[in-house]
Amino acid sequence: MVRVSKALLKDAGSGISKTLSEILVCPLSKQPLRVCEKTGSLISDAIGVSFPIKDGIPCLVPKDGKILETNDTSEDDGVTDSAGMKREEKGGNR
Amino acid sequence: MALRLVNSKLRSQILPMLSSTSLLHSHATSFGFKEVSEEEKSRLVGNVFSNVASNYDLMNDLMSGGLHRLWKDRLVSKLNPFPGMKHLDVAGGTGDVAFRILETINSMKRRAIQDSLNDSLHEETRIFICDINPNMLSVGKKRALERGLGEDKSLTWVEGDAEALSFEDNSMDGYTIAFGIRNVTHIEKVLAEAYRVLKPGGRFLCLELSHVEVPLFKDLYDLYSFSVIPALGELVAGDRASYQYLVESIRRFPPQEKFASMIAVAGFQKVEYENLVGGVVAIHSGLKF
Repeated sequence: MVRVSKALLKDAGSGISKTLSEILVCPLSKQPLRVCEKTGSLISDAIGVSFPIKDGIPCLVPKDGKILETNDTSEDDGVTDSAGMKREEKGGNR
Repeated sequence: MALRLVNSKLRSQILPMLSSTSLLHSHATSFGFKEVSEEEKSRLVGNVFSNVASNYDLMNDLMSGGLHRLWKDRLVSKLNPFPGMKHLDVAGGTGDVAFRILETINSMKRRAIQDSLNDSLHEETRIFICDINPNMLSVGKKRALERGLGEDKSLTWVEGDAEALSFEDNSMDGYTIAFGIRNVTHIEKVLAEAYRVLKPGGRFLCLELSHVEVPLFKDLYDLYSFSVIPALGELVAGDRASYQYLVESIRRFPPQEKFASMIAVAGFQKVEYENLVGGVVAIHSGLKF
């Protein structure tokens, strides 16, 4: 049971990130966005801003963006994180 | 280290944009016939669309006598949608244009399958619906469910600003904006963003209420606009002010030729427009080369 719901969650997540990796970018820097599953938001690492996802709709109006505390972004190193993200997306793409 | 530097540089340039547009230079702009500040305009327009979202379809039918459906059909037929296309419909929260595009493509696909000419090579169709107003988007999502398109993978809903799109450069085959550009604060920014996201060869199409110059018809149209529409808004939607804004904003929007030249300035080629119902609405189009 747990496994099934986990798989479902993973599917839903990869659905969003697949779309994202295809076309969505940060509305301000036009740089890639990464999905933060913990907070259910989209993060623009280039400028350290997070955008919410509400009811499955990414909210990418510049005014919706929240500036991340520098502590949050440095929690895990930005470079390896974005690289890891890319690998994950490729795996999900098939 | 280098990344950090770039980071902070970008931050200082971009973060001021986060606070509602730019506080550094706040120009006066129009909200209908009123002069308001730019921040005020986006807030006021936001209020209008939050107020009208639930009655939007009904009011469109009543005000245009159902004609808005034909105008949107015309817009989509000019687009020539094709299976596998990547399309962006801006300010299309209620899905009216997006559903038409998707249904056109789906009927083409069905025909292709019947003719057994179906090739599995073509890419997935993707239609992005971008609207700045969450109320309009939730009306659209609800309508998608009602039409059996709720699970359709081709539709992606995004809350976003036409002046700062969240789509990659050169990523779209088509861009449509129907009854939206009149409400933005900076038309030039919207056109520049449309140009940026379109692929070379991509098509820009804009359907907008425009200017009537036919003598007698103009008088009738003015009478209808300023007397009938606000009254209708009050009667049906219980909101006179929003519909007063609607008719005023139409008069403030640049006339056909002027708007066409703005589209050309943004970089588009083969810019042309077609008046419908004597200019009550116009469809402008341009190509990115």
